Amino acid sequence: MELYEILVLVLSFVVLLGIGVPVAWTLGISGVLTILLSIETITAFTTMAQRFVTSLDSFTLLAIPFFILAGQLMNKGGIATRLINFAKNVVGALPGGLAHINVVAAMLFGAIAGSSVAAASAIGSILGPRMEKEGYSKEFGAAINITSSTTGLIIPPSNTLIVYSLASGGTSIAALFVAGYLPGILVGLSLMGVAAVWTIRKNFPVGERGTFKELIQSFISAFPSLFLLVVVIGGIIAGIFTATEAAAIAVVYTLVLGYYYNEITFDNLPDILLDAVKTTSIVMLLIATSVSMSWVMSFESIPQAISDGILSLSNSPVVILLLINMILLFVGMFMDMTPAVLIFTPIFLPIVTELGMDPVHFGIMMVLNLCIGICTPPVGTLLFVGVSIADTTIPKVIKPLLPLFAAMIIALLLVTFWPALSMWLPSLFGLT
Amino acid sequence: MRDTVDTITKYVLVFLMGLLVVDVVWQVFTRYVLASPSIFTDELARFLLIWVSFLGAAYASGQHMHLSIDLLSHRLSPAGQKKLAIFIHCIVLLFVITVLVIGGSVLVYYIYIYGQLSSSLQIPIAYVYSIGPISGLLILYYKLSDIKRIVNQTPVEYIENL
Repeated sequence: MELYEILVLVLSFVVLLGIGVPVAWTLGISGVLTILLSIETITAFTTMAQRFVTSLDSFTLLAIPFFILAGQLMNKGGIATRLINFAKNVVGALPGGLAHINVVAAMLFGAIAGSSVAAASAIGSILGPRMEKEGYSKEFGAAINITSSTTGLIIPPSNTLIVYSLASGGTSIAALFVAGYLPGILVGLSLMGVAAVWTIRKNFPVGERGTFKELIQSFISAFPSLFLLVVVIGGIIAGIFTATEAAAIAVVYTLVLGYYYNEITFDNLPDILLDAVKTTSIVMLLIATSVSMSWVMSFESIPQAISDGILSLSNSPVVILLLINMILLFVGMFMDMTPAVLIFTPIFLPIVTELGMDPVHFGIMMVLNLCIGICTPPVGTLLFVGVSIADTTIPKVIKPLLPLFAAMIIALLLVTFWPALSMWLPSLFGLT
Repeated sequence: MRDTVDTITKYVLVFLMGLLVVDVVWQVFTRYVLASPSIFTDELARFLLIWVSFLGAAYASGQHMHLSIDLLSHRLSPAGQKKLAIFIHCIVLLFVITVLVIGGSVLVYYIYIYGQLSSSLQIPIAYVYSIGPISGLLILYYKLSDIKRIVNQTPVEYIENL
């Protein structure tokens, strides 16, 4: 009976996570404890060790370290500054100018980088002090920066969508990438809506309007960075490159650009590489232990048990999708995005495909949902980064975060129940 | 001692990551520019990723960079925090010894005996898998040195050094 295995798995996971064992090890330990119920001790240890290695043996996964490295190079290489300048000239004159600049810059950064942490740290460290000087509260600035950085995970390229492609058994990365554009922009616009209402009520300053000439100048200066979008996404959609090759090209491109801007030299390159290695290996350990955990779960037929349970509650697609979204919101509070995608995709995808949902649509919904989770305590990667950059504390940013979460949840509901939002662009490009 | 271990690991990691970048860039170059795709780069890149990931995870473990929830710790007295930290390190230690070091070594041994070679580089697959026990031993070292340091501190010193 699976009940006993589920109990061991869930209990050990909750207890270990709760007392403060790092998430990655917790996943591995719960996996081993569960598999020990079914197979002999040494075999269990060697099987898990083997699962860890084989789960990383993939050419697709290689896109992740390269997109991370490209993100670091953009961060250090003067690309973020140019994108912010361009964003300033586009939306700076709206009420709450700096807040909008933050959102648009995060979306632009997200459109050329694959991870959100690089965007949060690059944009937050440049715009945070300026927002404070213009009279915005530190906490509001941090909240806007944290939530707007999530758009980069939905707008391609996105490491999380690559992970989803693997977890879902090879959903087309090109289709997922194209599908992310409209939902990502939707999230950005809804955050800007909240920022506008908030700043009008608080009487935050309107930024000065730049001249048309300045707009053109800032566009020209940002153009080489934005052109990366054409190379990477264009190449993937046209089927010229794989995601991994595109990511490698992004690395070379940003390296050359950073060198040309005199920001990247042979002296700081090793440090940038080491930073990329650290971020990569933290994600990779999570991938290795989550994939193993997911394997243990399917070995014990746990996903089948859960999906039977959910389908026995209701047969209404609306109810089931709402239920899945609520479970994922809850999971996202405690689990980082990568493990959540790897563990819950095999559980929920069979259910939603039964309801006729496209795996591409589900992937976008799931990633958008988990984007809220990485901004919430107790475990929120982006929350931690954003708060530490703004030099404030988590309890203080909760209040300004709440209306932004509400906006993201509205966007999530739209994406969930309006398939065309995700599926229209991929079908236009003939990718579905 | 720990600084030396850190420095060596750091150099190895930067070297492997640099090699990984060069390797995949070379693959793209040979495929699109020279139009004769290199045959070994794909496999080398996958093996390098495994090595970078495991060794990097061990290094990150020494730097306490793996994400965790520290809500419980904040509610405890200094003495309690100290005990909890030792307990958590011991749990991770136990996992690393059983799965990475013991499980990983047995696995490498079986694969080595079996003599399986990789398809294009023709190197023993056991070499690739050996990073499991290697990184396991490195984490073991980091954890033992962490535990030793915490045990030797008074609870207040431990909190101050967090």
